[in-house]
Amino acid sequence: MSEVAERMDEIVIEVGKRHIREVNRDIMDACATGRPIRVVNTLSRHNLGVGLPDNVDITFEGSVGYYCGGLNTGANISIERNCGWAVGEGMAKGHITVGGYAGMSCGAAMIGGTIHVKGDAGPRVGVAMKGGNIVVEGKIGYQSGFMAHSGRIIALGGAGESCADALWEGEVWVAGEVDSLGVDVDVIEPTAEEVAEVDAILEPLGLVDSSRNWRKMVSGQRLWYFESRDASAWLMI
Amino acid sequence: MAHDLSKPYEYPFDVASEEEIRFRDAGAVDGRPAGVPSSYDEGGSTRWTPEAISEVHALAQLGRYQVRGYNTFNKQLPTFDDLTFVPATMTRLPLEGYRESCDTTTVLGGGRGLVERPLELKIPIYIASMSFGALSASAKASLGYGASKVGTMTCTGEGGMLEEEREASQRLLYQMSPARYGVDLDHLRRADALELVVGQGAKPGTGGLLLGMKVSPRVSKMRTLPEGVDQRSTIRHPDFLGADDLAVKIEELRIATNYQVPIFIKMGATRPRFDVAVAAKAGADVVVVDGAEGGTGASPELLLNHTGIPTMSAIRAAREALDECGMTGKVSLVAAGGIRSGVDAAKCLALGADAVMIGNAAMVALGCNSPRYLEDYAALGTSPGACHHCHTGRCPVGIATQDEELESRMNPRAGAERIARYLTAMTMEITALAKACGKSSVHNLETEDLRALSFQASAFTGVKMAGIDRAFDW
Repeated sequence: MSEVAERMDEIVIEVGKRHIREVNRDIMDACATGRPIRVVNTLSRHNLGVGLPDNVDITFEGSVGYYCGGLNTGANISIERNCGWAVGEGMAKGHITVGGYAGMSCGAAMIGGTIHVKGDAGPRVGVAMKGGNIVVEGKIGYQSGFMAHSGRIIALGGAGESCADALWEGEVWVAGEVDSLGVDVDVIEPTAEEVAEVDAILEPLGLVDSSRNWRKMVSGQRLWYFESRDASAWLMI
Repeated sequence: MAHDLSKPYEYPFDVASEEEIRFRDAGAVDGRPAGVPSSYDEGGSTRWTPEAISEVHALAQLGRYQVRGYNTFNKQLPTFDDLTFVPATMTRLPLEGYRESCDTTTVLGGGRGLVERPLELKIPIYIASMSFGALSASAKASLGYGASKVGTMTCTGEGGMLEEEREASQRLLYQMSPARYGVDLDHLRRADALELVVGQGAKPGTGGLLLGMKVSPRVSKMRTLPEGVDQRSTIRHPDFLGADDLAVKIEELRIATNYQVPIFIKMGATRPRFDVAVAAKAGADVVVVDGAEGGTGASPELLLNHTGIPTMSAIRAAREALDECGMTGKVSLVAAGGIRSGVDAAKCLALGADAVMIGNAAMVALGCNSPRYLEDYAALGTSPGACHHCHTGRCPVGIATQDEELESRMNPRAGAERIARYLTAMTMEITALAKACGKSSVHNLETEDLRALSFQASAFTGVKMAGIDRAFDW
């Protein structure tokens, strides 16, 4: 089979053991056509679909490695099965769907757009995120939301240890069990308006369920100021 | 033979009176008695010095460690003055210092042949990573224009790309810190090189610090932080942990920038022999080693004073590491930390650096610690020449501040020209030494051109001791 083929209206790109630079160049060329793209035989390779432009529909068959969809600027990316570390890291805009599980640091330092993980996600979901939404249908791993500046992490299935650790203005919403909280977290009862905002994110994903018992986690803001005279605030870290 | 102790010895004269014994001899001055140990007045504990005591008082009062800017106050660190050049004499031929030319062109990041646009600088010095946030926007722009005039580069620092600096700097290094403030694909692609920071010399192993006084509306927007918070940043990157992941991350950045620009890794100098080898193996085009003398806008003082190793020792270790793993020529080495002049810079090149960067020195050239607005130095409890209050944002000369009134005290056009002149003068100093040593390129300076004036400097660097011509070695 040739490396770039056409199937119906799709452009099909073979990964296999080709140099990742070549694969990404083919992907960028295909993006310029405006046609849907299907990337096949991905072999869990790292760095597939980095820095993709706006108005692109791309599907990765099978599983992918690290940094898939990293620095995305608007593409609609679908990963059929699992992804490695830091899917959608630094992404500014666009939509990423992960059909299976996501590895560590899903959506690390992302700025905008939405990541939707259908399975569980590994540790440090949304670490250092600056905006956008991460929706995980399963459980999010330990230390998720670590120092999230802005944006929302929404876990429908629960959260691991040290959840929502040391947040800035990011929010972590969990519908299931939380194994333990991180430092400086306030767990608050969301208002109906806030729940409506989250449902508006879940609605296009078909995930709204009014019976959920949400816990919304925000910063306690005790670590925001170094000038604290409260020594115990420092001993907790 | 011992006296018979059972029988007290008696002088053959009357015992002196207590009054006489107390050094009250003729001529004694009231108020200056002899026979009082000097320690009564001066103390003398080598551990409980007045500085140590005031330190404990400060901790007891504050209940936390002290934060400040500037650089290390540790008196045990060697200085570049512990090294001297030994120019050409009989065994080597000097170049004509006032007539013959000496090449200063410095290419960084082209060694692997992987990127389309290696950095070609006209001089072996560039401006270190100082963020917008730590410095004012005018100061950043001045650094950019000054550097552009002499054909060299500035670095964004961790606060994201400031449009004023991008416009001013013909070559701009874009820094990605662990906190990833203001990361933007468009900015990455508009940069002339990218830098992943894993640490800095002033506080290796600890993330950036920007106190609330400097988290202005603009800074807070660029960093996505609440206004006025004390920003204490992460040190671990969000999306890689070890060397294997770093190699993948570097590849990601290459793809994102279409293999156009070099990738730097910047680290604080701690175990450079291993750290530099790992960074080189992970695929960096340029490794920046920042010694313990490196400056900062704000840091816990204990880390400034008590972490990291001296720049001179780090350069030798880094160069040997690159030699040992066959990466010399493929990976460029940049040194920083405590460089005050072209002389210091030349010593770094001779020790093995391909280029140096200057941070504090560039700020001083802009006017940091200059004797103006004395009342504002006094309000900070300091004076020109001793100021280290970058962390407060109340910079009396308007460089390390986000306050508009203070910022207006720095003349940006004058600042740009001062930077250009300072860099020119530094370069002249380097070429003067290089030519005296018989080198037609500053990059031909070598360790053999140096001698150590102290055992310490020789032991740290392997440079031969002056006179005896052997390294103080194990």
